[in-house]
Amino acid sequence: MIVKAEDRKLALTHEILMSIDKPSRYTGGEPNSVMKDPDKTKVRFVMCFPDVYEIGMSHLGIQILYGMFNSWEDVWCERVYSPWTDLDKIMRDRKIPLFSLESQRPVKDADFLGITIQYEMCYTNILQILDLADIPFYSKDRTDADPIVIGGGPCIYNTEPIADFFDIFYIGEGEVRYRELLDLYEECREAGIGREEFLKRAVAIEGIYVPSLYDVTYDENMRFVSMEPKYDFVPARIKKQLVKDMNEAFYPTAPVVPFIRATQDRAVIEVQRGCIRNCRFCQAGQIYKPVRERSVDYLLDHAKAILKNTGYEELSLSSLSTSDYTGLKRLLEELIDYCSQKKINISLPSLRIDAFSLDVMNKVQDIKKSSVTFAPEAGSQRMRNVINKGLTKEDILNGAEMAFRGGWNKVKLYFMLGLPFEEHEDAEAIAVLCNDIAKVYFDTVPKEERKGSVQITASSSFFVPKPFTAFQWAPMNKPEEFLEKAKITKAAVRAQLNQKRISYHYHDCGTTIIEGVLARGDRRLSASIEYVYRHGAIFDAWTETFSYENWIKAFEETGVDYEDYIFRTRPDDEEFPWDFIDSGVRKEFLLREWKNASMAKKSSNCREQCMGCGCTGFGCGVCVE
Amino acid sequence: MIIRFKFSRRGPVRYLGHLDMMRYFQKVVMKAGVSARYSEGFHPHQLMSFAYPLGVGMETDGDYMDLEMEDGNDPETVMDELNAVMNEGVKISAAVALKDNAENAMAAVSAATYELIIDCGAPEEGRKVIKAAVSEMLASDTIMAETKKSSKNIRPGIFALDIEPEENVNDQIKISMFLSSGSKLNVRPADLFDTLLTMPSVAGSGLSFRLSLLRRLEIFGLTEDGRNVPLDHADVL
Repeated sequence: MIVKAEDRKLALTHEILMSIDKPSRYTGGEPNSVMKDPDKTKVRFVMCFPDVYEIGMSHLGIQILYGMFNSWEDVWCERVYSPWTDLDKIMRDRKIPLFSLESQRPVKDADFLGITIQYEMCYTNILQILDLADIPFYSKDRTDADPIVIGGGPCIYNTEPIADFFDIFYIGEGEVRYRELLDLYEECREAGIGREEFLKRAVAIEGIYVPSLYDVTYDENMRFVSMEPKYDFVPARIKKQLVKDMNEAFYPTAPVVPFIRATQDRAVIEVQRGCIRNCRFCQAGQIYKPVRERSVDYLLDHAKAILKNTGYEELSLSSLSTSDYTGLKRLLEELIDYCSQKKINISLPSLRIDAFSLDVMNKVQDIKKSSVTFAPEAGSQRMRNVINKGLTKEDILNGAEMAFRGGWNKVKLYFMLGLPFEEHEDAEAIAVLCNDIAKVYFDTVPKEERKGSVQITASSSFFVPKPFTAFQWAPMNKPEEFLEKAKITKAAVRAQLNQKRISYHYHDCGTTIIEGVLARGDRRLSASIEYVYRHGAIFDAWTETFSYENWIKAFEETGVDYEDYIFRTRPDDEEFPWDFIDSGVRKEFLLREWKNASMAKKSSNCREQCMGCGCTGFGCGVCVE
Repeated sequence: MIIRFKFSRRGPVRYLGHLDMMRYFQKVVMKAGVSARYSEGFHPHQLMSFAYPLGVGMETDGDYMDLEMEDGNDPETVMDELNAVMNEGVKISAAVALKDNAENAMAAVSAATYELIIDCGAPEEGRKVIKAAVSEMLASDTIMAETKKSSKNIRPGIFALDIEPEENVNDQIKISMFLSSGSKLNVRPADLFDTLLTMPSVAGSGLSFRLSLLRRLEIFGLTEDGRNVPLDHADVL
């Protein structure tokens, strides 16, 4: 029998719900959430985003998989998010097992616990989820009474620091192989085959990586040497799975609508997947290659259906670089037309500033309140060549001039510090660029036409080298180097003529260091993650709960030389723990790009000229245009 | 034209706060595609208002929402269209058009009725204790309710306070109340419950009581001749 959302018995009592912040994080029953009859489904799949509800509910990937799984009759997909620290404590004190939002039943009773791993700083939250659910941390300790714990998302491009905690990693885009995996699971269960044998059989499916079926070796310095399959039938390399035709792939037209305000509280259409730009610091740009577009008609149909089914009053476009979408002009024109009739706002992604984007912004935003955004990522042209960011100073100044003529007077700029081959003058160049933009304003807008003055907001984050990028060989800056560079930039801003018009902020560097370790670490880190979790670390992505000292102590106590992962330049021939993943992008290509970076030599984007990265093998997207 | 909708909310959806409830209704209006009117400006919003914010955790059988709509809409038809896209747990039970000069819902509120279900480890004994506390409360002229900001005499705002007879509610302790609301004297049911627990017979009983359900039953407005009538009654439209 299907229990109605309103008749569900909640896992938490009224008293508990009234004592915690935002109780509707935990009560489910949101519009478009799915209730099914457990007796008529074969697989209960609990999907988890290991962070607080409002963050997790903003994530498109889970909405896609939730919709796809629930479109299958035999599967009931439910959701769970990290209980916030207030409820976390109550659940531990009173031994309340972690429950899914829909059925309010224990997660431990599910067939699968799927965890999407979007950033390294959620690793302790993964242990929180397992802990509260009463599932053993380590795959080797689990039995047939535990769900199969499966991970996906961008962090699986280096699974190794958390490899021991997972039974399976799914490498690539979820739309492709889950049906096969669940079919195999149902088959095994009907035949009375348990988890161990199921995991062995699962590796026959492309993209399925079972960490327990490999042996890892290290050298005398405890550096990673190799990872070998334990059995003949286990593949040595795992191939990334991807959707070849984005117009054929599942996309939800009735996503779950949170009652409380989520971080991204709007309808979303994913216009394309992948990016043509080949920025050398960007992991997403490499792992989602090649770029694959959806047709304008597909997007319009889906946008209208989603708005109709959700009642959202705002629509946004999602992709890594929406300005590169070839159908953008027609798409935006038609959307603006449709949405203005229906009183729906369009939330624009940051577009390349030109006549077209300014015209669009003028139509959908209040110029007085909005700003134009540039992401030069680095201050000097030499550094932009190092990172292969195509944007030039001329582009920025011309764009700013156009925006100022159009009536804007707020400019936002995003930079990184601590990039490879960066010198002090590159940090200073950030300030100079900001000053030049302010100067353009005073040269462009006559005094009598100035309404308020120009405001330039620059912010910088610290760079973390990631696997599957040209900078996977690069050393990270030390904390003191990061802070020194930020101080140089700050001082340089103060030395500019237009300094009063510029505000500059930089992000904290403690998180950056830990993120760097987890991003390029290996399997030995699971002990450190367990240690830090057992000593109170949780919600590390949140400044109020993150403790740098805790992590450093955890590395020391578990005998891990964390500096070795991040502060040295890795030799060209070093074997990486993530090399076994065939992402389509060849290591030789990345190495070539690493060399080009050292010479500050630019490369082309995928539409200008193929760089021979290896992705043509997928036979789709921009590679076959 | 402005249409006043009477709605109920039951079950898990009661843990929404007032602002989230408002956002929920805005989406329902969008989904149903009914012709609501909008404010001017870059980010137009629906002209929607509520009689009495619903607290987190409170159920209701009789709350009110006013929505400004294009002229010529039939209230009952709009109600059906909204109910067709409504979530489980929330339902509109009545819809009426306001007269041109009607007071807005929030200003019109004069009183509200509630029922409370109270948990107690020893329900039989507990009922006697609560019954005595209710009598103590009704017998005094002054009952000071302490809130974070102030302390005020709520006794004049308690129009009725009853404990449900045992045979109607099995093991539960249920009280119903009719309380003054709105700008003159606003008595919050949770404050009244807290104050009830400070009555001598409760304090002396050694028992502990917890609120397990709070439900608003109806919201009233005052007619010209001083009667409290439901907010969708012709005399307060």
